Amino acid sequence: MKTLQSPFAFMRFTLALILALAGIASAHAFVDHADPKVGAQIDAAPADVKIWFTQQIEPAFSKIRVFDAEGRQIDNKDCRQDKDDKKLLIVSLPKLPAGTYKVEWRVVSIDTHHTSGDFKFTIKP
Amino acid sequence: MSPLNKIILFCASTCALLAAAPIVSAHGILGNRFFPPTLSTDDPFAVDELDLPAFSYVKNAGDPASDEVDYGFEFDKEIFPRFALGVSDAYSTIKPNVGKFTKGFGNLALTAKYEVYEEAKSEFIFSVGVEIDLGGVGTKGFRDPFTTYTPTVYLGKGFGDLPDKLAMIQPFAVTAELGQSFPTSAAAPNVFGWGFAVEYSLMYLEQHVKDVGLPAPFKDMIPLVEFSMQTTENRGVGGLTTGTVNPGVLWITDYYELGLEAAIPLNHESGAHVGVTAQLWIFIDDLFPQTFGHPLFGARE
Repeated sequence: MKTLQSPFAFMRFTLALILALAGIASAHAFVDHADPKVGAQIDAAPADVKIWFTQQIEPAFSKIRVFDAEGRQIDNKDCRQDKDDKKLLIVSLPKLPAGTYKVEWRVVSIDTHHTSGDFKFTIKP
Repeated sequence: MSPLNKIILFCASTCALLAAAPIVSAHGILGNRFFPPTLSTDDPFAVDELDLPAFSYVKNAGDPASDEVDYGFEFDKEIFPRFALGVSDAYSTIKPNVGKFTKGFGNLALTAKYEVYEEAKSEFIFSVGVEIDLGGVGTKGFRDPFTTYTPTVYLGKGFGDLPDKLAMIQPFAVTAELGQSFPTSAAAPNVFGWGFAVEYSLMYLEQHVKDVGLPAPFKDMIPLVEFSMQTTENRGVGGLTTGTVNPGVLWITDYYELGLEAAIPLNHESGAHVGVTAQLWIFIDDLFPQTFGHPLFGARE
């Protein structure tokens, strides 16, 4: 049974290593969830776009921009980090008509890694 | 200290910290796409990666059949922007149904990889590299006595640029690895290694296409199928293709990736039993951002 015991010992080592790593580092930030939701079709125009990231972000180097279908930036250019939740980035919106909007984000997490991405949401007529 | 001075001090210290630490790109990310390290084929990124431990089990065909367990590692470090060097090896134990239990190290392998072209919008990357399996380095019976050079090309393509009508197809991505081996022994055949991975990223689906409400840990998983093949070309065994089809799943966390795959033999020559591969990839650029995650010399754009 020696060959079976060794893999189990190996996996125990793996598990211990994972648990040790989990508490000692920060990581790059990805989208955890957003409001409006990624790809959502909503009835009412939102007052702002909120994105919760998986890591605490550095607000000086992080932003959200929102574009209409013609590629015009339509947010109020007041992107800010929530004062209580350091993983939350918010940008407010004017009253938007029906249509599809693209949200672009670019953030730097506190470990200095930058990530970026985009998603869309649609306001129904 | 007044609140205003606290704010000024906080901003100044934050800027100083970020100025001292270069802002760097995260590993394996191209546009919206995260290309994960895969288990049976190599991904196209020349970045800092640590694969430790890599565990695989397979019941080998043959007479006698045997149980083989491999414990491997791989470490890659970006030296110049888009150019990385790596080292890897594996310790194997083989227990035949009849006969003696053996164990030892295989040939130590050195790799060099360069990202020739990448385009974020189309999620496309093309890289070239070479792997050198050092002859005579390893345990007798597990090593080759000769050195083998394998020039390799790597490709990666995500489908996030498909039109919105095909949104649910956008999470798909394909990576491929094509390598031609040149052994320095006249007795060993040349081998064309070819493999590819087809991935469906639930991360991509949730973060960029449509939040369908997948709970953790499923929203951080990437189901995939890898095809890992080798075709011998000459010296009496030309035209023989062996390999495995490997369905599995990758689970991506902030600090590491866990992967689990079955290894289904393509034909009798590839084996008679289904094997299992499990790997842990550690994102060392997240663990040690001051040391890893950027080249030793120069900086990525």
